[in-house]
Amino acid sequence: MTASPPDKPRARGTARRATQSRLRRRVGAAARMIAALALVGSVYAAFVPGGAAQGAPAPSSDVSAGKTLFDTSCITCHGANAQGVAGRGPSLIGVGDASVEFQVSTGRMPAAGQSAQEIEKQPVFDETQAQQIGAYIQSLGGGPQLPEGNNLSSGGNIAQGGDLFRVNCSSCHAFGGGGGALSSGKFAPTLANATDRTIYAAMLSGPQNMPVFGDNQISPQEKRDIIAYIQNLKSDPAPGGLSIGRVGPVAEGLVIFLVGIVVLLFAMLWIAGKS
Amino acid sequence: MTHSGLHAAEADNEEFDHTDPRLSRFDLVKEGARRDGVQLVHYAPRFPVPGTRREARVVRAVGLLFFLSGLFATAFVVAYIWWPWRYQDGSNLSKLYTPVLGVSLGLSLACLGLGFVAWGKKLLPEEIAVQDRHDGGSPADEKKLTGETMLNMVDELGIKRRPLLAKTALLGMLPLGAVAVAPLIGGLIKNPHKPDILLHTGWDPSLNSGHPIAVCREDGTKIRPADVSIGGQMTVFPGIFNTDGDFVGASNDFADSPTLLIHLRQDDAQVLRSNLVHVPINEQNTWGNFVAYSKICTHAGCPASLYEQQTNRLLCPCHQSQFNILDNARPIFGPATRRLPMLPLTVADDGFFYAKSDYQVPVGPGFWERP
Repeated sequence: MTASPPDKPRARGTARRATQSRLRRRVGAAARMIAALALVGSVYAAFVPGGAAQGAPAPSSDVSAGKTLFDTSCITCHGANAQGVAGRGPSLIGVGDASVEFQVSTGRMPAAGQSAQEIEKQPVFDETQAQQIGAYIQSLGGGPQLPEGNNLSSGGNIAQGGDLFRVNCSSCHAFGGGGGALSSGKFAPTLANATDRTIYAAMLSGPQNMPVFGDNQISPQEKRDIIAYIQNLKSDPAPGGLSIGRVGPVAEGLVIFLVGIVVLLFAMLWIAGKS
Repeated sequence: MTHSGLHAAEADNEEFDHTDPRLSRFDLVKEGARRDGVQLVHYAPRFPVPGTRREARVVRAVGLLFFLSGLFATAFVVAYIWWPWRYQDGSNLSKLYTPVLGVSLGLSLACLGLGFVAWGKKLLPEEIAVQDRHDGGSPADEKKLTGETMLNMVDELGIKRRPLLAKTALLGMLPLGAVAVAPLIGGLIKNPHKPDILLHTGWDPSLNSGHPIAVCREDGTKIRPADVSIGGQMTVFPGIFNTDGDFVGASNDFADSPTLLIHLRQDDAQVLRSNLVHVPINEQNTWGNFVAYSKICTHAGCPASLYEQQTNRLLCPCHQSQFNILDNARPIFGPATRRLPMLPLTVADDGFFYAKSDYQVPVGPGFWERP
């Protein structure tokens, strides 16, 4: 199409006698036309692209494999294009890789049923499949992504992480990471089984009722600090030897009450019994 | 001592001569018990022949318990002084500091107790004693005699004939009673509005010479709207610095000021904006999709900061109060009866969050002058 405007003047030009100045003018007009068309084209390319420029170039094998898995396992609740189904499941556009990794690799998704809260269970998909679904969801609308690697706590400052944990996490997950109750059957889960990637993904994506802790609020380095603190908290033996679920003074009080009462009962029987 | 026993003993007292040299110490003990109405039905030593091997074994066992008690108590003192108690990472002796203290002291006390009980059970003589129980009220004649004795005292004092004495005694004693209670009650009398700390928090612009107070993180850095993700929350503190330039907004001096800054989703924020009319003073308090509530629960002052980002509730972990974020933090469950106060938020020209003014209602638990 860019070729036709210069052709026309040239065709007309053969009908009349062309002077050098007219020729120069026509060449100039053609050049301007070409430039204008190129500008419009590039502006068009810049505005339309979304799918065309990013999605089209590399529909990688991961994305298509992920779509296949999505279409067989997730489509019922999240809809054919992950746009969500009212009353069943939310839209997944823009939730990102991080959210998929958290939900799928901990077995929370696919959900066993509608309940107050999806619980951790044996994962249905392995790591590769979870990654493929993640790639598919990522291709739909972007969203937060996790850094590479399984070790996201190396180089973390445990003391700094402890400070951040107590300010941001301990209100729900408790000081020992044992978790706690929320409203109407929901709860903050224990961190006992949480891997580095799970914790990172949870902070980044805010699964279920957990608030989102974006990179502006808690920087990637601070996230590593928090993970280092949590992993240290878990690997460090409980003072005294028995953690009793790390859910705090209620469980500890119950245990010492039951054990103590039994011991006192036997002591009473011995003291009062006839010898 | 019982009345029937007393009377029985008194009747026999004449026959008992306590100066009789033939009486053994045990005879005197028995007589004492008899006068108190206690009859020794059975009394026999555990070891009729002293010095048997069985007796020696029991004595050794009790002695061992006392010795162990002392040993564990010593272990407690030694552990208290020399056991490594500072926190150390990993598996090490410091993890056992408190259990060692508890176990050694517990065993010491247990051995001491067991020793005394064993002494009583195994070495003291077997004894079965019977004591009469007091039944019913006092006899009628005794009631009469006691009553008349007391009335006689009143007659002797002559209160009826000399009323001036009774009145002046009362007049003299009443101020003395006031002296006794004055220091106790005086300490409780206090004007809560001098200084008026209950109505002001760290967000009061007067702390910043009349300028709005900046909304800060726990380390004193200011916050931009982009710092809190959608569906995110952040605990924020008033940006107050002391004369040395240190951040004190998150210190105990402003313990009533911690606030929860929440970034709502668009739809949820719309619901909140339509609900603001329920509490007219809140109408200008949100900024964009951001809202900030006091973190101090209105029930007992715990941090009500368990934020559920999908159900838009704030929970208090102490007594399970729940507040609806989308309706001016109305309490919807639990013991709290009052809404969490909303901080008037704004973003200044420099792009940071500021509090337009102090909280418009007092923060924290039950306040006696609230509307």
